[in-house]
Amino acid sequence: MALSTLADWTGEIGTVVLGASRKDGGTRTASIVIGGERDLPYIGNPPSGHKPLIAYELCDDPSLWPAPVTGHLGDITGDPAAWAKKAEQDFGPDLLKLVLTSTRVRGFTDPVPVSATVEAVLQATSLPLIVEGSIDPELDSEVFRRIGEAGEGERLLLGTAEAGRYRSVAAAAMAYGHLVIAQSPIDINLAKQLNILLREIGLPHDRIVIDPYTGALGYGFEYSYSVMERIRTSALKGDTDLAMPMISSAPDTLSVKEVREADPARMAEMAVAWELYSMLPSTVAGASVVCVRHPSTIRPLREGIDAFWEGKGEEGR
Amino acid sequence: MISVDDAIVSGKRSLDSRMEQLSGVFSYEETAYHLPVTYALTGKAVHTANEAREAYQATERNPLVACECLVAAETAARGKEPAPYTGFIPDAVLRTLGYSLVDGSILGLVLVSGKPPSPDAAAALCRELQEKYMLTFLSGEIISSLGEAGVKVGAEYRLVPLGSRPSSGIHFIDILARVAMMFGGVTPGDAGRLLSYAKERAKAISIVFPGLSEEETAVHDAFRLLGIPILSAGEYEGEQWIRVSPADAVKTGMDLKGIKVSVTAIPIPMACSPAFEGKSIRKEDMYVEFGGGRSPAFELLRCRPEGEVMDGMVRVIGPEIGDLKEGSAVPLGLIVEVAGKNMRREYEPVLERRIHNFINYGEGSWHVAQRDIIWVRISKEAVARGVRIEHLGKLLAAKFRIDFPDLLDSVQVTLITDEQNVVAARKDAERIYEERDERIRGMKDTDVDTYYSCTLCQTFAPNHVCIITPERPALCGAISWLDGRIAYEISPAGANQPVPKGKEIDAARGEFEGVNRFVKKASHGEVERCSLYSIMEYPMTCCGCFECIALMLPEVNGFMVVNREYKGETPSGMSFSTLAGTIGGGAQTPGFAGISKNFILSDRFLQAEGGISRLVWMPSALKDELSGRLRQKLAERGLSSLYDQIATEKEAVTIEELAGLLSRTGHPALTMKQLL
Repeated sequence: MALSTLADWTGEIGTVVLGASRKDGGTRTASIVIGGERDLPYIGNPPSGHKPLIAYELCDDPSLWPAPVTGHLGDITGDPAAWAKKAEQDFGPDLLKLVLTSTRVRGFTDPVPVSATVEAVLQATSLPLIVEGSIDPELDSEVFRRIGEAGEGERLLLGTAEAGRYRSVAAAAMAYGHLVIAQSPIDINLAKQLNILLREIGLPHDRIVIDPYTGALGYGFEYSYSVMERIRTSALKGDTDLAMPMISSAPDTLSVKEVREADPARMAEMAVAWELYSMLPSTVAGASVVCVRHPSTIRPLREGIDAFWEGKGEEGR
Repeated sequence: MISVDDAIVSGKRSLDSRMEQLSGVFSYEETAYHLPVTYALTGKAVHTANEAREAYQATERNPLVACECLVAAETAARGKEPAPYTGFIPDAVLRTLGYSLVDGSILGLVLVSGKPPSPDAAAALCRELQEKYMLTFLSGEIISSLGEAGVKVGAEYRLVPLGSRPSSGIHFIDILARVAMMFGGVTPGDAGRLLSYAKERAKAISIVFPGLSEEETAVHDAFRLLGIPILSAGEYEGEQWIRVSPADAVKTGMDLKGIKVSVTAIPIPMACSPAFEGKSIRKEDMYVEFGGGRSPAFELLRCRPEGEVMDGMVRVIGPEIGDLKEGSAVPLGLIVEVAGKNMRREYEPVLERRIHNFINYGEGSWHVAQRDIIWVRISKEAVARGVRIEHLGKLLAAKFRIDFPDLLDSVQVTLITDEQNVVAARKDAERIYEERDERIRGMKDTDVDTYYSCTLCQTFAPNHVCIITPERPALCGAISWLDGRIAYEISPAGANQPVPKGKEIDAARGEFEGVNRFVKKASHGEVERCSLYSIMEYPMTCCGCFECIALMLPEVNGFMVVNREYKGETPSGMSFSTLAGTIGGGAQTPGFAGISKNFILSDRFLQAEGGISRLVWMPSALKDELSGRLRQKLAERGLSSLYDQIATEKEAVTIEELAGLLSRTGHPALTMKQLL
C-alpha cells in the first residue's frame, strides 16, 4: 500500500553528507547522505529522499547515562572507544553518536582529554560520527575547538548549536570542515531563526541538521511531533531556511518513570519499547536520523523503518 | 611630514625594478595556499621568479603581490627571522585563529606597523587592543619598543610579532586571504569575491607609525583595496590615510569597521537582574526618593550625533548621596544620551521606556511611571553597600549597551539633582514630549509604505500573523508600529518583519496586495486575504493574546467590545473567555476580531463597517479607562452624544435589554446600513 499525497509541494529538503571517506580526506569507510525529500515521509513508492538512519548513542562519562543501558552493557561503558567498536560490530547502527557527558559534569574544567576521546573513538570505528560537546558558553570555545581539531577532515556532525550559544559550534564546523546540529526548544520560529544566524555567520545550509528537540513519549513527544511536522511542511511549501534534514533524539526516554520504576525483570523490555515508540514516530514526523541508547532497540526500530519505507504498513505484518 | 602619494609613486617604481631582478625558487612551508595573496588573487600557485612576474603583471602590478613574492624569496634565501619573530604563519595556527574569529573570542584583527613615538605609547596602544579583544599583529620597530616597555609579545598575549621590518606586514594580508579561502568560501582566483569578502566580513584595521620605506608605504596603501582603513598616527600625509592621535587610533579604527565590544559586567555595588524587577521599596526602607509628586523629576532619552556621546560617561550635577539627608525627597533630572549608526530619533520614546525596567533591575533601586511624573527610590540597604546616585547612571549606560548592541554605539547619562537645574531642564524635556506625542498622533497608515508583522505567537497559534500599522497596534497592545520597526532593526531574523504594503485592493477594508502576500506566506498558505480595517470580511487572525474582542451583534446592527479583565456575561450571550476560546488559535473568524484597547480610539477601528458609530456596548471599567481619550475622539468626529449611548453592563447585560436601551437612546447604529 503506497500512500500518495495530494499536496502540491514546491520545496525540497536539502541533502547533507555525513562522514568523509579516505577519498574525501577522512577515515570513514563511506559517507552517508540524508535528506532530499520532496514529499512527506514514507509517501510514494519508493518514498522521496533518503531512508531514515539509526544512530547509536554512547558517552564518555557513564555516571550521566541511564541505568538500563549501563546495567545492560556493564564495564565497557567506561571505555568509549571499546564501547563504540562493540556498537559498530554487534548492534548494527548506521552511525554513532558520542555524547561528551564529561563536559557536563559539575566542576568540569579540563577540556584537554576531549581530544583524545574523540580521536580514540574515530580510530576504533569506521562509521560516520556525531559528537555532542559541552552545553555551557563558558566551556564551548575550548571544547569545540578540540573536538573540531581532533576530527579534522572526518565531516563530523557537531552538536548542539543553540540560539544563545552557536558560535563555537559553528566555528569548529567552519574551521575543521564539519557539520552542525542546530537545536531549538520545540519552536519552529526559533529553529528558523537559528538557521538564519548560522547562515549569517557563514555556515552553508548543506552543513546544518535541525534538531527540533524531542520530548520522550508521554512527556511532551506530541509537541515535538507537531513541530517537526510543521518544520517539514513549511520546508516543502518553499521555506528554504527550514529545508534541512532533521535529527531526533529523546535523551530523557530512558529516565521516565515507567522505565525507571519498571519491574527489574521487565526494565530492558520497557526501555526498548519506550525508545522504539518515541523514535519510530519521529521518522514519520520527518526525522532523517533517530538516536537510541539501548542496543536492543536498533533491530525492531530498523524493521519498523523498513516496513514503512517499503509501504507495507499494516498488511506487511 | 611625508607625502603618502609621492611615496607610493616611487615605492611602486622600486617594487617594479625589484620584481624585474627577482630570481630563484621560493615557497612557504606548512600551507596549502602557496603564496596566499597571489594565489587568492590569481588562482595561480607561484613558486618561481618567472611565475611571480606573470602574476604581478596579471594583477596590474599589485603592490601586495610584489611584496609577497619579494618577502617569500627573501625568506627562502636567508631563512626565517629568529624568535620572537614569527614570519609566515602556518595553516594549522591560522585555523585556530579563524576559529576564534567566528567563535567571537576575538573581535577583529589589527596590524600595527612602524615605530611609535615612545615605548610607553606603544605599550598603551597594545594594552588597549588587548582589552578590546583584538588580535594584534606587529611589524617593524614597534616590537622592540614594546620590549623596552616590558610588554610581552606572542600569540598567547594576542600580540603577534611578524617581523622586524614593516614589510612583514604582508603576512597580515596573507592571513586575511587564507581566512577568506578557508572560511569565506572564496575560490582562489576569484579576486572580486576576495575583495568583497574582505570588505564586508573581515574586521581588520591597520595602524601606521613612522618608519615605513617608500615600498612599504605603497604596500600598506594597497591594503585599502581590501577595505582596511589605514590610520596614520604621525608624519604621513595623504588623502586616503586617516590621521589620528595614537590615543584615538583604536577607537577610530573599530568604529570604522563597526567592531563593538560587548559589555557584560555592570560595575556597581548592587546586583542587577530582571529577578528584582517586581520588588518595591517601602517608605521605611527608602534612603532617598525623587519625584512622585514630592519633588520635581523627569527622565529623557535623547539621540545625539556620533562623537557627541562619550560611552560610559556618567555625570551627577548637584548633590550626591552623601550630601543628602536620609528619608528626603530630592529633585532629579535623568538624561540618557545615546548615539549609534542605526539609532533614529523615532526610537527615543521606546528606548526611554526601558529606563523603567532597567532601574527596577537594580536590587536597591525602584522606578514607576514615565516622563515628568517619574518616581524613583534608592533603598537604605543599597546606600549602606555604597550605592550612589551615580550608579543609577552606570547601570543605565551598561544596560542600554547590553540590550541594544546593534542599535547603540555609545551611551552617556547625566543625573541632575539640584532643583534649579532640574526645573530648567524639565522645560526642554516637556517640549520634546509634546513633539513626540504630536509625531505619534500624527502618524497615519498612509504615511508609511511598510507595516510590520508579528509572528511571536506562532508557537501556539501556528498560522497567526499580526500586521501592525501606525494606526493599528498589535492585538496584544504591547507592540506598536515603532516597536515593530525597532524589533526588526535589533533582530533582523526575528518575529517582527517588514511588510511592504503594496498596491491597495480595497481602501475601506484596508486590504493590500503586499500584506496579503506576506500573510499567505507567514500563515503557511492558510490565510489568503487579510483586511486591516474590517471585522466582517477577511479579518485579521487572532492568537490568544488580544486585549479585547470586538464582535458583531446582528440584532442591534452594531459591535460590542469586551476586554480580558471583564469576567461577566455580555450581550452576545458569551463571556470573554468563551469568546476567546472560539476565535483564538490563528483562525480567521468573520464578525470577530482580537484588538488592543488603543485600537478602539483609532480612526481605523471599524472603518469598513462605518466607524465607531457602530460601537454599542463595552464593559464600564474599559469605558472608564478610555473615558477622557474616548470623549475627545468622539468630539473630534462630531459624535459627542455617542459617549453616553455606548452601553455598559450597568445598563444592559442581555441582548434584549441592549436592543431596548439603544432604541430608547436613539443609538446611530440602529439606522446604519444593515450589516448582514
